[in-house]
Amino acid sequence: MKLMQIALILCCAVATYNFAVVAAASSFEDNDFAEFEDFDSDDDFVEVPVTVGGGAPAASKEVPVKEKEPVVKAAQIQDDEEDGIVEDEDEFFKDDEEFEGFDAGEIKEETGKKPAEPKLTVAKIPMHFRTHWDSYWMEMLMLAGLMVYFTNFFAGKAKNAKLAQLWLTTHKGLLDDNFVLVGDDGKVENENPGLMKESESLYTLWCSGRTCCEGMLVELKMIKRQDLVSLIAGLMRPQQDQVHIKVDLTRGVMDPFVFCVGTKKTITKAFKEYADLSKYCTLVSKPETRYNVPAGFSVLSEIPEATSAILENRIITALSRYQQYIDYIHISDQYSGPVQVEDANNLKQPETKPVLMAGFNLPKNGDMEAVKPLLILIFYLMERLKGYRLSKEGQQKAEKNRSRVEEEFLKSTHAARAEAAAQRREDKRKAEKERIMAEDDPEKQRRWEAKEQKRQAKKKAPKMKRLAVKSL
Amino acid sequence: MNATVDPRRKEKVNRYKAPQAQGQNGSGTGNEDLTPDYMNILGMIFSMCGLMMKLKWCAWFALYCSCISFASSRVSDDAKQVLSSFMLSVSAVVMSYLQNPAPMTPPWVSSS
Repeated sequence: MKLMQIALILCCAVATYNFAVVAAASSFEDNDFAEFEDFDSDDDFVEVPVTVGGGAPAASKEVPVKEKEPVVKAAQIQDDEEDGIVEDEDEFFKDDEEFEGFDAGEIKEETGKKPAEPKLTVAKIPMHFRTHWDSYWMEMLMLAGLMVYFTNFFAGKAKNAKLAQLWLTTHKGLLDDNFVLVGDDGKVENENPGLMKESESLYTLWCSGRTCCEGMLVELKMIKRQDLVSLIAGLMRPQQDQVHIKVDLTRGVMDPFVFCVGTKKTITKAFKEYADLSKYCTLVSKPETRYNVPAGFSVLSEIPEATSAILENRIITALSRYQQYIDYIHISDQYSGPVQVEDANNLKQPETKPVLMAGFNLPKNGDMEAVKPLLILIFYLMERLKGYRLSKEGQQKAEKNRSRVEEEFLKSTHAARAEAAAQRREDKRKAEKERIMAEDDPEKQRRWEAKEQKRQAKKKAPKMKRLAVKSL
Repeated sequence: MNATVDPRRKEKVNRYKAPQAQGQNGSGTGNEDLTPDYMNILGMIFSMCGLMMKLKWCAWFALYCSCISFASSRVSDDAKQVLSSFMLSVSAVVMSYLQNPAPMTPPWVSSS
Protein backbone atom coordinates (compact mmCIF):
# COMPACT_ATOMS: atom_id res chain seq x y z
CA MET A 1 0.00 0.00 0.00
CA LYS A 2 2.77 2.25 0.96
CA LEU A 3 4.59 1.31 -2.18
CA MET A 4 1.53 2.21 -4.21
CA GLN A 5 1.36 5.58 -2.54
CA ILE A 6 5.00 6.37 -3.26
CA ALA A 7 4.60 5.30 -6.92
CA LEU A 8 1.54 7.52 -7.27
CA ILE A 9 3.33 10.52 -5.84
CA LEU A 10 6.28 9.93 -8.17
CA CYS A 11 3.95 9.70 -11.15
CA CYS A 12 2.29 12.95 -10.18
CA ALA A 13 5.62 14.65 -9.78
CA VAL A 14 6.83 13.50 -13.22
CA ALA A 15 3.55 14.53 -14.81
CA THR A 16 3.59 17.97 -13.29
CA TYR A 17 7.23 18.40 -14.31
CA ASN A 18 6.48 17.47 -17.91
CA PHE A 19 3.50 19.74 -18.01
CA ALA A 20 5.55 22.58 -16.66
CA VAL A 21 8.19 22.05 -19.34
CA VAL A 22 5.63 21.97 -22.13
CA ALA A 23 3.85 25.04 -20.80
CA ALA A 24 7.12 26.90 -20.60
CA ALA A 25 8.01 25.95 -24.16
CA SER A 26 4.66 27.09 -25.52
CA SER A 27 4.82 30.35 -23.61
CA PHE A 28 8.20 31.11 -25.15
CA GLU A 29 6.76 30.79 -28.55
CA ASP A 30 3.78 33.02 -27.84
CA ASN A 31 5.33 35.68 -25.75
CA ASP A 32 7.84 38.17 -27.07
CA PHE A 33 9.14 38.83 -23.64
CA ALA A 34 9.79 35.22 -22.85
CA GLU A 35 13.49 35.68 -22.64
CA PHE A 36 13.12 38.29 -19.97
CA GLU A 37 10.73 36.21 -17.94
CA ASP A 38 13.08 33.36 -18.22
CA PHE A 39 15.98 35.35 -16.88
CA ASP A 40 14.10 35.80 -13.69
CA SER A 41 13.97 32.11 -12.92
CA ASP A 42 17.18 30.75 -14.37
CA ASP A 43 20.46 31.81 -13.04
CA ASP A 44 22.77 29.12 -14.25
CA PHE A 45 23.02 29.80 -17.97
CA VAL A 46 25.13 27.77 -20.26
CA GLU A 47 27.32 29.20 -22.91
CA VAL A 48 25.86 28.44 -26.30
CA PRO A 49 27.32 29.45 -29.61
CA VAL A 50 25.08 31.68 -31.59
CA THR A 51 24.32 30.62 -35.10
CA VAL A 52 24.14 33.45 -37.52
CA GLY A 53 22.29 33.56 -40.78
CA GLY A 54 22.49 36.09 -43.61
CA GLY A 55 25.52 37.76 -44.99
CA ALA A 56 26.83 39.37 -41.82
CA PRO A 57 30.55 38.86 -41.97
CA ALA A 58 31.24 39.32 -38.27
CA ALA A 59 29.55 35.97 -37.82
CA SER A 60 29.15 33.69 -34.86
CA LYS A 61 30.31 35.18 -31.69
CA GLU A 62 30.56 33.54 -28.40
CA VAL A 63 29.73 35.90 -25.70
CA PRO A 64 30.03 34.91 -22.12
CA VAL A 65 26.65 34.97 -20.50
CA LYS A 66 28.04 36.77 -17.51
CA GLU A 67 28.29 39.86 -19.62
CA LYS A 68 24.59 39.86 -20.08
CA GLU A 69 23.63 39.73 -16.48
CA PRO A 70 24.09 43.35 -15.49
CA VAL A 71 22.19 44.43 -18.52
CA VAL A 72 19.30 42.18 -17.81
CA LYS A 73 19.28 43.27 -14.24
CA ALA A 74 19.30 46.85 -15.29
CA ALA A 75 16.27 46.16 -17.39
CA GLN A 76 14.57 44.64 -14.40
CA ILE A 77 15.52 47.41 -12.08
CA GLN A 78 13.64 49.81 -14.26
CA ASP A 79 10.44 49.89 -12.45
CA ASP A 80 8.38 50.96 -15.38
CA GLU A 81 6.99 47.82 -16.78
CA GLU A 82 4.81 49.59 -19.24
CA ASP A 83 4.41 48.18 -22.68
CA GLY A 84 6.02 51.15 -24.37
CA ILE A 85 9.27 50.79 -22.56
CA VAL A 86 9.51 47.07 -23.11
CA GLU A 87 8.75 47.51 -26.76
CA ASP A 88 11.58 49.97 -26.90
CA GLU A 89 13.86 47.33 -25.52
CA ASP A 90 12.67 44.92 -28.10
CA GLU A 91 13.31 47.40 -30.89
CA PHE A 92 16.68 47.89 -29.43
CA PHE A 93 17.56 44.23 -29.67
CA LYS A 94 16.61 44.24 -33.31
CA ASP A 95 19.01 47.06 -34.03
CA ASP A 96 21.58 45.74 -36.47
CA GLU A 97 24.17 48.25 -35.48
CA GLU A 98 24.00 47.33 -31.86
CA PHE A 99 24.04 43.57 -32.42
CA GLU A 100 26.22 42.58 -35.22
CA GLY A 101 25.23 39.25 -36.61
CA PHE A 102 22.42 38.77 -34.20
CA ASP A 103 18.94 38.09 -35.41
CA ALA A 104 16.02 38.53 -33.11
CA GLY A 105 13.95 36.08 -35.12
CA GLU A 106 16.40 33.34 -34.44
CA ILE A 107 16.21 33.82 -30.76
CA LYS A 108 12.65 32.74 -30.85
CA GLU A 109 13.46 29.52 -32.67
CA GLU A 110 16.39 28.83 -30.45
CA THR A 111 14.48 29.52 -27.32
CA GLY A 112 11.68 27.42 -28.64
CA LYS A 113 14.01 24.46 -28.81
CA LYS A 114 16.04 25.13 -25.72
CA PRO A 115 13.97 27.17 -23.38
CA ALA A 116 16.44 27.30 -20.53
CA GLU A 117 19.28 28.76 -22.56
CA PRO A 118 18.88 32.36 -23.70
CA LYS A 119 21.83 33.58 -25.70
CA LEU A 120 21.61 37.23 -26.13
CA THR A 121 24.77 38.95 -27.14
CA VAL A 122 24.05 42.28 -25.69
CA ALA A 123 26.68 44.93 -25.73
CA LYS A 124 26.68 47.67 -23.17
CA ILE A 125 23.42 49.56 -23.43
CA PRO A 126 23.94 53.28 -23.65
CA MET A 127 22.28 55.40 -21.01
CA HIS A 128 18.63 55.29 -21.80
CA PHE A 129 17.12 58.55 -22.89
CA ARG A 130 14.21 59.22 -20.64
CA THR A 131 11.63 61.84 -21.39
CA HIS A 132 11.26 62.85 -17.81
CA TRP A 133 10.16 66.44 -17.81
CA ASP A 134 11.56 67.14 -14.39
CA SER A 135 15.08 66.62 -15.68
CA TYR A 136 14.55 69.68 -17.89
CA TRP A 137 14.21 72.05 -14.98
CA MET A 138 16.82 74.43 -16.39
CA GLU A 139 14.96 74.72 -19.67
CA MET A 140 11.72 75.29 -17.81
CA LEU A 141 13.41 78.02 -15.84
CA MET A 142 14.68 79.66 -19.01
CA LEU A 143 11.28 79.55 -20.68
CA ALA A 144 9.62 80.89 -17.55
CA GLY A 145 12.21 83.69 -17.51
CA LEU A 146 11.39 84.55 -21.10
CA MET A 147 7.71 84.62 -20.31
CA VAL A 148 8.25 86.89 -17.32
CA TYR A 149 10.46 89.12 -19.47
CA PHE A 150 7.82 89.55 -22.13
CA THR A 151 5.02 90.07 -19.63
CA ASN A 152 7.11 92.82 -18.09
CA PHE A 153 7.89 94.18 -21.54
CA PHE A 154 4.24 94.75 -22.36
CA ALA A 155 3.39 96.08 -18.91
CA GLY A 156 6.38 98.46 -18.85
CA LYS A 157 5.75 99.65 -22.37
CA ALA A 158 2.14 100.48 -21.54
CA LYS A 159 3.15 102.30 -18.35
CA ASN A 160 5.76 104.42 -20.13
CA ALA A 161 3.29 105.33 -22.86
CA LYS A 162 0.74 106.27 -20.23
CA LEU A 163 3.17 108.48 -18.34
CA ALA A 164 4.31 110.23 -21.51
CA GLN A 165 0.75 110.87 -22.56
CA LEU A 166 -0.02 112.19 -19.10
CA TRP A 167 2.87 114.64 -19.36
CA LEU A 168 1.62 115.86 -22.72
CA THR A 169 -1.99 116.31 -21.64
CA THR A 170 -0.85 118.23 -18.58
CA HIS A 171 1.41 120.57 -20.53
CA LYS A 172 -0.55 120.79 -23.76
CA GLY A 173 -2.37 123.99 -22.86
CA LEU A 174 0.81 125.79 -21.89
CA LEU A 175 2.60 124.62 -25.02
CA ASP A 176 -0.29 125.66 -27.24
CA ASP A 177 -0.16 129.11 -25.67
CA ASN A 178 3.50 129.47 -26.56
CA PHE A 179 4.04 127.67 -29.83
CA VAL A 180 2.27 127.66 -33.14
CA LEU A 181 3.39 124.12 -33.91
CA VAL A 182 3.21 121.58 -31.12
CA GLY A 183 4.21 118.06 -32.04
CA ASP A 184 5.79 117.39 -35.40
CA ASP A 185 7.11 114.19 -36.88
CA GLY A 186 9.18 115.83 -39.60
CA LYS A 187 7.20 114.32 -42.45
CA VAL A 188 5.88 116.41 -45.31
CA GLU A 189 2.42 116.11 -43.94
CA ASN A 190 2.34 116.11 -40.22
CA GLU A 191 0.72 112.73 -39.80
CA ASN A 192 1.14 112.41 -36.11
CA PRO A 193 0.89 115.65 -34.19
CA GLY A 194 1.91 114.73 -30.68
CA LEU A 195 4.61 112.74 -29.01
CA MET A 196 6.97 110.78 -31.19
CA LYS A 197 8.09 107.43 -29.93
CA GLU A 198 11.84 107.00 -30.35
CA SER A 199 11.97 103.82 -28.34
CA GLU A 200 9.80 102.22 -25.67
CA SER A 201 11.34 104.48 -23.08
CA LEU A 202 12.05 107.65 -25.07
CA TYR A 203 9.41 110.02 -26.36
CA THR A 204 10.09 113.32 -28.08
CA LEU A 205 8.01 116.37 -28.83
CA TRP A 206 9.00 119.16 -31.19
CA CYS A 207 7.52 122.59 -30.74
CA SER A 208 8.19 125.59 -32.92
CA GLY A 209 6.91 129.03 -33.81
CA ARG A 210 7.74 131.31 -30.92
CA THR A 211 9.67 134.53 -30.45
CA CYS A 212 13.39 134.33 -29.68
CA CYS A 213 13.65 130.63 -30.44
CA GLU A 214 13.78 128.42 -33.48
CA GLY A 215 12.29 125.43 -31.81
CA MET A 216 12.07 123.41 -28.66
CA LEU A 217 12.73 119.71 -28.41
CA VAL A 218 11.28 117.94 -25.40
CA GLU A 219 12.63 114.49 -24.68
CA LEU A 220 10.85 112.32 -22.16
CA LYS A 221 13.42 109.83 -20.98
CA MET A 222 11.61 107.23 -18.98
CA ILE A 223 13.02 104.47 -16.85
CA LYS A 224 13.39 101.47 -19.11
CA ARG A 225 10.37 99.79 -17.64
CA GLN A 226 10.06 97.51 -20.65
CA ASP A 227 13.44 95.92 -19.98
CA LEU A 228 13.48 93.68 -16.92
CA VAL A 229 17.28 93.67 -16.77
CA SER A 230 17.39 97.47 -16.59
CA LEU A 231 14.71 97.41 -13.91
CA ILE A 232 16.81 95.06 -11.82
CA ALA A 233 19.89 97.20 -12.43
CA GLY A 234 17.76 100.17 -11.35
CA LEU A 235 17.34 98.56 -7.94
CA MET A 236 21.07 98.94 -7.37
CA ARG A 237 21.27 102.42 -8.86
CA PRO A 238 17.91 104.13 -8.65
CA GLN A 239 16.86 106.04 -11.73
CA GLN A 240 14.13 108.53 -12.39
CA ASP A 241 11.94 109.49 -15.26
CA GLN A 242 13.40 112.62 -16.78
CA VAL A 243 12.39 115.29 -19.19
CA HIS A 244 15.12 117.03 -21.20
CA ILE A 245 14.23 120.29 -22.85
CA LYS A 246 16.42 121.86 -25.49
CA VAL A 247 15.55 125.26 -26.88
CA ASP A 248 17.38 126.40 -30.01
CA LEU A 249 17.59 130.15 -29.51
CA THR A 250 17.59 132.57 -32.37
CA ARG A 251 21.05 133.96 -33.06
CA GLY A 252 21.63 137.31 -31.46
CA VAL A 253 18.89 136.92 -28.89
CA MET A 254 21.28 136.23 -26.04
CA ASP A 255 24.55 137.87 -25.18
CA PRO A 256 27.68 135.74 -25.35
CA PHE A 257 28.13 133.79 -22.17
CA VAL A 258 28.08 130.22 -20.94
CA PHE A 259 26.43 129.21 -17.73
CA CYS A 260 25.20 126.06 -16.05
CA VAL A 261 23.57 125.26 -12.75
CA GLY A 262 22.53 121.84 -11.53
CA THR A 263 22.99 119.07 -9.05
CA LYS A 264 26.58 118.37 -8.12
CA LYS A 265 26.64 114.96 -9.76
CA THR A 266 25.23 116.14 -13.06
CA ILE A 267 27.43 119.21 -13.17
CA THR A 268 30.59 117.19 -12.60
CA LYS A 269 29.63 114.92 -15.46
CA ALA A 270 28.55 117.70 -17.78
CA PHE A 271 31.69 119.72 -17.08
CA LYS A 272 33.78 116.94 -18.59
CA GLU A 273 31.33 115.97 -21.26
CA TYR A 274 30.28 119.19 -22.94
CA ALA A 275 32.77 121.11 -25.04
CA ASP A 276 31.42 124.59 -24.27
CA LEU A 277 31.36 124.01 -20.52
CA SER A 278 34.85 122.55 -20.38
CA LYS A 279 36.33 125.29 -22.57
CA TYR A 280 34.68 128.42 -21.21
CA CYS A 281 33.50 127.72 -17.70
CA THR A 282 35.03 127.35 -14.29
CA LEU A 283 33.45 125.63 -11.35
CA VAL A 284 32.31 128.21 -8.83
CA SER A 285 33.49 127.43 -5.34
CA LYS A 286 30.93 127.89 -2.59
CA PRO A 287 27.99 128.76 -4.86
CA GLU A 288 25.69 128.69 -1.81
CA THR A 289 27.19 131.85 -0.35
CA ARG A 290 28.12 133.51 -3.60
CA TYR A 291 24.95 133.09 -5.60
CA ASN A 292 22.59 131.91 -2.90
CA VAL A 293 21.75 128.68 -4.70
CA PRO A 294 20.31 125.94 -2.50
CA ALA A 295 22.73 123.40 -1.03
CA GLY A 296 23.45 120.49 -3.32
CA PHE A 297 23.66 122.62 -6.45
CA SER A 298 26.84 123.48 -8.34
CA VAL A 299 27.37 126.39 -10.68
CA LEU A 300 29.58 126.59 -13.76
CA SER A 301 30.18 130.16 -14.80
CA GLU A 302 32.09 131.99 -17.50
CA ILE A 303 31.25 135.60 -16.76
CA PRO A 304 30.34 136.28 -13.13
CA GLU A 305 28.04 139.19 -13.88
CA ALA A 306 25.97 137.11 -16.27
CA THR A 307 25.77 134.30 -13.74
CA SER A 308 24.52 136.59 -11.01
CA ALA A 309 22.07 138.17 -13.43
CA ILE A 310 20.61 134.78 -14.32
CA LEU A 311 20.55 133.58 -10.74
CA GLU A 312 18.32 136.42 -9.57
CA ASN A 313 15.73 136.11 -6.85
CA ARG A 314 12.94 134.52 -8.81
CA ILE A 315 15.21 131.83 -10.25
CA ILE A 316 16.71 131.14 -6.83
CA THR A 317 13.22 130.78 -5.38
CA ALA A 318 12.27 128.38 -8.16
CA LEU A 319 15.50 126.44 -7.66
CA SER A 320 14.87 125.97 -3.97
CA ARG A 321 11.18 125.21 -4.35
CA TYR A 322 11.67 122.63 -7.08
CA GLN A 323 15.06 121.42 -5.99
CA GLN A 324 14.04 117.77 -6.09
CA TYR A 325 12.88 118.06 -9.70
CA ILE A 326 15.65 120.19 -11.20
CA ASP A 327 18.61 118.29 -12.61
CA TYR A 328 20.35 121.06 -14.56
CA ILE A 329 19.86 124.27 -16.49
CA HIS A 330 22.43 124.97 -19.16
CA ILE A 331 22.59 128.26 -21.07
CA SER A 332 25.21 128.72 -23.75
CA ASP A 333 25.85 130.70 -26.90
CA GLN A 334 28.66 128.34 -27.87
CA TYR A 335 26.94 125.00 -27.63
CA SER A 336 28.57 122.40 -29.84
CA GLY A 337 27.50 119.18 -28.23
CA PRO A 338 29.69 116.75 -26.38
CA VAL A 339 33.47 117.03 -26.46
CA GLN A 340 34.75 115.76 -29.78
CA VAL A 341 37.46 113.18 -29.89
CA GLU A 342 40.77 114.88 -30.60
CA ASP A 343 41.19 114.49 -34.30
CA ALA A 344 44.26 116.14 -35.77
CA ASN A 345 42.80 116.04 -39.25
CA ASN A 346 39.70 117.93 -38.22
CA LEU A 347 40.57 121.42 -39.40
CA LYS A 348 37.20 123.00 -38.83
CA GLN A 349 36.03 124.24 -35.50
CA PRO A 350 32.76 122.59 -34.48
CA GLU A 351 29.69 124.61 -35.31
CA THR A 352 28.21 126.41 -32.36
CA LYS A 353 24.73 127.66 -31.65
CA PRO A 354 22.95 129.38 -28.80
CA VAL A 355 20.83 127.04 -26.73
CA LEU A 356 18.94 126.85 -23.49
CA MET A 357 18.83 123.33 -22.12
CA ALA A 358 17.30 121.90 -19.02
CA GLY A 359 16.83 118.53 -17.45
CA PHE A 360 14.08 117.86 -14.93
CA ASN A 361 13.14 114.80 -12.94
CA LEU A 362 9.53 113.73 -13.14
CA PRO A 363 7.71 112.99 -9.91
CA LYS A 364 7.61 109.33 -8.96
CA ASN A 365 3.89 109.30 -8.30
CA GLY A 366 3.11 110.61 -11.78
CA ASP A 367 1.74 113.91 -10.52
CA MET A 368 2.62 115.93 -13.61
CA GLU A 369 0.96 119.10 -12.34
CA ALA A 370 3.82 119.37 -9.84
CA VAL A 371 6.36 119.90 -12.63
CA LYS A 372 4.27 122.20 -14.77
CA PRO A 373 5.86 125.34 -13.26
CA LEU A 374 9.22 124.13 -14.56
CA LEU A 375 8.09 124.65 -18.14
CA ILE A 376 6.96 128.14 -17.17
CA LEU A 377 10.46 128.61 -15.75
CA ILE A 378 11.91 127.75 -19.16
CA PHE A 379 9.75 130.37 -20.87
CA TYR A 380 10.67 132.88 -18.21
CA LEU A 381 14.38 132.17 -18.76
CA MET A 382 13.93 132.66 -22.49
CA GLU A 383 12.41 136.06 -21.95
CA ARG A 384 15.11 136.89 -19.45
CA LEU A 385 17.87 135.98 -21.92
CA LYS A 386 16.21 138.11 -24.53
CA GLY A 387 16.15 141.11 -22.26
CA TYR A 388 19.52 140.74 -20.57
CA ARG A 389 22.58 142.58 -21.89
CA LEU A 390 26.16 142.27 -20.65
CA SER A 391 28.10 145.34 -19.54
CA LYS A 392 30.99 146.55 -21.68
CA GLU A 393 33.57 144.77 -19.53
CA GLY A 394 31.53 141.62 -19.72
CA GLN A 395 31.33 141.89 -23.49
CA GLN A 396 35.07 142.36 -23.73
CA LYS A 397 35.72 139.43 -21.47
CA ALA A 398 33.43 137.22 -23.48
CA GLU A 399 35.13 138.35 -26.69
CA LYS A 400 38.52 137.60 -25.21
CA ASN A 401 37.44 134.14 -24.11
CA ARG A 402 36.10 133.32 -27.53
CA SER A 403 39.27 134.40 -29.29
CA ARG A 404 41.33 132.46 -26.74
CA VAL A 405 39.41 129.27 -27.46
CA GLU A 406 39.78 129.83 -31.18
CA GLU A 407 43.50 130.39 -30.81
CA GLU A 408 43.85 127.21 -28.80
CA PHE A 409 42.03 125.33 -31.49
CA LEU A 410 44.26 126.76 -34.19
CA LYS A 411 47.32 125.88 -32.16
CA SER A 412 46.20 122.33 -31.62
CA THR A 413 45.64 121.90 -35.33
CA HIS A 414 48.78 123.79 -36.40
CA ALA A 415 50.72 120.70 -37.35
CA ALA A 416 47.80 119.28 -39.27
CA ARG A 417 47.23 122.55 -41.09
CA ALA A 418 50.93 122.86 -41.99
CA GLU A 419 50.83 119.33 -43.32
CA ALA A 420 47.77 120.09 -45.37
CA ALA A 421 49.44 123.20 -46.82
CA ALA A 422 52.58 121.22 -47.70
CA GLN A 423 50.42 118.60 -49.34
CA ARG A 424 48.70 121.27 -51.40
CA ARG A 425 52.04 122.71 -52.54
CA GLU A 426 53.30 119.28 -53.45
CA ASP A 427 50.17 118.56 -55.48
CA LYS A 428 50.55 121.84 -57.32
CA ARG A 429 54.19 121.11 -58.18
CA LYS A 430 53.33 117.64 -59.45
CA ALA A 431 50.63 119.03 -61.65
CA GLU A 432 53.07 121.57 -63.06
CA LYS A 433 55.64 118.86 -63.72
CA GLU A 434 53.13 116.77 -65.56
CA ARG A 435 52.10 119.73 -67.62
CA ILE A 436 55.71 120.52 -68.60
CA MET A 437 56.49 116.89 -69.38
CA ALA A 438 53.46 116.63 -71.57
CA GLU A 439 54.71 119.43 -73.75
CA ASP A 440 57.00 118.57 -76.68
CA ASP A 441 59.64 121.08 -75.85
CA PRO A 442 62.89 119.52 -74.50
CA GLU A 443 64.34 122.95 -73.89
CA LYS A 444 61.47 123.91 -71.63
CA GLN A 445 61.70 120.59 -69.80
CA ARG A 446 65.41 120.99 -69.21
CA ARG A 447 64.86 124.50 -67.90
CA TRP A 448 62.14 123.30 -65.55
CA GLU A 449 64.38 120.50 -64.25
CA ALA A 450 67.22 122.89 -63.63
CA LYS A 451 64.85 125.15 -61.75
CA GLU A 452 63.57 122.29 -59.73
CA GLN A 453 67.12 121.18 -58.83
CA LYS A 454 67.96 124.66 -57.74
CA ARG A 455 64.85 124.76 -55.60
CA GLN A 456 65.73 121.48 -53.94
CA ALA A 457 69.27 122.65 -53.24
CA LYS A 458 67.94 125.88 -51.81
CA LYS A 459 65.55 123.97 -49.62
CA LYS A 460 68.41 122.02 -48.10
CA ALA A 461 71.07 124.70 -47.93
CA PRO A 462 69.63 127.67 -46.04
CA LYS A 463 69.19 125.75 -42.82
CA MET A 464 72.95 125.63 -42.40
CA LYS A 465 73.29 129.29 -43.14
CA ARG A 466 70.62 130.27 -40.76
CA LEU A 467 72.20 128.16 -38.07
CA ALA A 468 75.46 129.94 -38.67
CA VAL A 469 73.75 133.30 -38.38
CA LYS A 470 72.03 132.24 -35.23
CA SER A 471 75.24 131.07 -33.63
CA LEU A 472 76.79 134.46 -34.20
CA MET B 1 4.43 136.04 -17.22
CA ASN B 2 3.89 136.14 -20.93
CA ALA B 3 0.18 136.64 -20.75
CA THR B 4 0.49 140.25 -21.83
CA VAL B 5 1.99 139.53 -25.24
CA ASP B 6 1.33 136.49 -27.34
CA PRO B 7 4.76 134.98 -27.91
CA ARG B 8 3.63 132.85 -30.82
CA ARG B 9 5.02 133.65 -34.26
CA LYS B 10 3.67 131.87 -37.28
CA GLU B 11 6.55 132.92 -39.51
CA LYS B 12 9.07 131.33 -37.17
CA VAL B 13 7.80 127.80 -37.49
CA ASN B 14 10.57 125.32 -38.24
CA ARG B 15 9.85 121.75 -39.08
CA TYR B 16 11.33 118.95 -37.06
CA LYS B 17 14.58 117.53 -38.34
CA ALA B 18 15.41 113.90 -37.82
CA PRO B 19 17.87 113.41 -34.98
CA GLN B 20 20.46 111.82 -37.30
CA ALA B 21 20.92 115.09 -39.14
CA GLN B 22 21.28 116.86 -35.84
CA GLY B 23 23.75 114.31 -34.60
CA GLN B 24 26.08 115.05 -37.49
CA ASN B 25 26.26 118.66 -36.45
CA GLY B 26 27.43 117.48 -33.07
CA SER B 27 24.30 118.74 -31.43
CA GLY B 28 22.61 115.43 -30.88
CA THR B 29 21.61 114.21 -27.51
CA GLY B 30 25.16 113.02 -26.97
CA ASN B 31 24.44 110.13 -24.69
CA GLU B 32 22.86 107.76 -27.13
CA ASP B 33 21.69 104.52 -25.66
CA LEU B 34 24.05 101.83 -26.87
CA THR B 35 22.44 98.91 -25.04
CA PRO B 36 20.75 97.42 -28.11
CA ASP B 37 24.01 97.41 -30.05
CA TYR B 38 25.97 95.81 -27.24
CA MET B 39 23.26 93.24 -26.70
CA ASN B 40 23.18 92.50 -30.40
CA ILE B 41 26.89 91.76 -30.46
CA LEU B 42 26.76 89.81 -27.22
CA GLY B 43 23.83 87.80 -28.57
CA MET B 44 25.75 87.02 -31.71
CA ILE B 45 28.79 85.87 -29.76
CA PHE B 46 26.64 83.68 -27.51
CA SER B 47 24.80 82.21 -30.49
CA MET B 48 28.07 81.34 -32.14
CA CYS B 49 29.37 79.75 -28.96
CA GLY B 50 26.10 77.83 -28.65
CA LEU B 51 26.26 76.61 -32.22
CA MET B 52 29.95 75.83 -32.48
CA MET B 53 30.76 74.57 -29.02
CA LYS B 54 27.33 73.01 -28.41
CA LEU B 55 26.86 74.91 -25.20
CA LYS B 56 23.17 75.04 -24.49
CA TRP B 57 23.35 77.74 -21.88
CA CYS B 58 25.15 79.97 -24.37
CA ALA B 59 22.29 79.54 -26.82
CA TRP B 60 19.78 80.44 -24.11
CA PHE B 61 21.79 83.51 -23.12
CA ALA B 62 21.84 84.55 -26.76
CA LEU B 63 18.06 84.35 -26.79
CA TYR B 64 17.91 86.59 -23.73
CA CYS B 65 20.36 89.05 -25.26
CA SER B 66 18.27 89.37 -28.38
CA CYS B 67 15.19 89.91 -26.21
CA ILE B 68 16.91 92.78 -24.40
CA SER B 69 18.13 94.16 -27.70
CA PHE B 70 14.57 94.03 -29.01
CA ALA B 71 13.12 95.68 -25.91
CA SER B 72 15.50 98.62 -25.94
CA SER B 73 15.82 99.13 -29.68
CA ARG B 74 14.82 102.46 -31.17
CA VAL B 75 11.90 102.80 -33.50
CA SER B 76 14.21 104.19 -36.15
CA ASP B 77 16.57 101.23 -35.79
CA ASP B 78 16.67 98.59 -38.44
CA ALA B 79 14.15 95.91 -37.55
CA LYS B 80 16.03 93.43 -39.70
CA GLN B 81 18.97 93.48 -37.33
CA VAL B 82 16.85 92.62 -34.33
CA LEU B 83 15.05 89.94 -36.32
CA SER B 84 18.25 88.34 -37.55
CA SER B 85 19.69 88.31 -34.06
CA PHE B 86 16.48 86.64 -32.86
CA MET B 87 16.62 84.07 -35.61
CA LEU B 88 20.25 83.31 -34.92
CA SER B 89 19.69 82.76 -31.22
CA VAL B 90 16.55 80.69 -31.75
CA SER B 91 18.37 78.55 -34.28
CA ALA B 92 21.22 78.14 -31.81
CA VAL B 93 18.78 76.81 -29.21
CA VAL B 94 16.97 74.55 -31.67
CA MET B 95 20.16 73.19 -33.19
CA SER B 96 21.75 72.42 -29.86
CA TYR B 97 18.66 70.45 -28.78
CA LEU B 98 18.44 68.64 -32.10
CA GLN B 99 22.03 67.55 -31.79
CA ASN B 100 21.69 66.45 -28.23
CA PRO B 101 18.23 66.38 -26.68
CA ALA B 102 19.60 65.72 -23.21
CA PRO B 103 18.74 68.31 -20.58
CA MET B 104 21.01 71.30 -20.20
CA THR B 105 23.89 71.17 -17.82
CA PRO B 106 24.64 74.51 -16.25
CA PRO B 107 28.08 75.95 -16.98
CA TRP B 108 29.32 75.31 -13.47
CA VAL B 109 28.66 71.57 -13.82
CA SER B 110 31.21 69.93 -16.06
CA SER B 111 29.30 68.38 -18.92
CA SER B 112 30.28 64.81 -19.54
